[in-house]
Amino acid sequence: MSRADFPSGAAIEAARQLTERSLTAEAFDAYVNAPVSEGEREEALRLIRWFSKRYPTPAERLAYVRRAYARWSQPHRG
Amino acid sequence: MRGSEFDEFSFFAAVESSGARALLIGRRAMVVLGLPVLTADYDFWVHSDDIEKLNTAAQAFDLEPNRTPKDARRNGRYVLENDEHVDVLVSATRTTVDGLEVVFDDLWSRRVSVEIGTAKLFIPSVDDLILTKRIGGRPKDAEDIRLLQRLKEVLE
Repeated sequence: MSRADFPSGAAIEAARQLTERSLTAEAFDAYVNAPVSEGEREEALRLIRWFSKRYPTPAERLAYVRRAYARWSQPHRG
Repeated sequence: MRGSEFDEFSFFAAVESSGARALLIGRRAMVVLGLPVLTADYDFWVHSDDIEKLNTAAQAFDLEPNRTPKDARRNGRYVLENDEHVDVLVSATRTTVDGLEVVFDDLWSRRVSVEIGTAKLFIPSVDDLILTKRIGGRPKDAEDIRLLQRLKEVLE
């Protein structure tokens, strides 16, 4: 992804507000219990298995995520 | 200390050595369990009697509390920060979006110990982590629960 592909600060803030708003108990459970397609489920399971195999220890997982976050956030700096 | 130089493993070791009853919660706990999610912050739930112990451990990393321990106890939370951001929950209990009481001491009694290098880190069980996500009650918490449910499938 090139620097130009990253969403604007305003778009990121709008997404943040959308995902961090408080929900009612009913709306929250609707989110949690929304049906999962078999494809979506398989993809999630595949990703979890890949991550756990590639980074078998908690220390490796934490280090990976710290590196990944640094890479992800770099274009927004300076 | 700048965030880029932050040594999280040493920080976790310092938290353990401090003797503070501290549970790593939030997305970083999900990562520990094996979920590849991104996060900028650290989230801890700490026994309210142990705020001073945690603050002393954090001091070595130039992490400054934004509230006095007394204010933190009154507010139920505070932040340790420099370039890093550590959200600290200190209430004895919190309530889920559907009104269920979540008790720190219960989570602590069921904690899972994880080795990070030479240090031990404590996280809630998967079911308790799901419970803490129900405290937040936001769409991102719901998404995280869905991921934790998938993780349970893999672990079972």
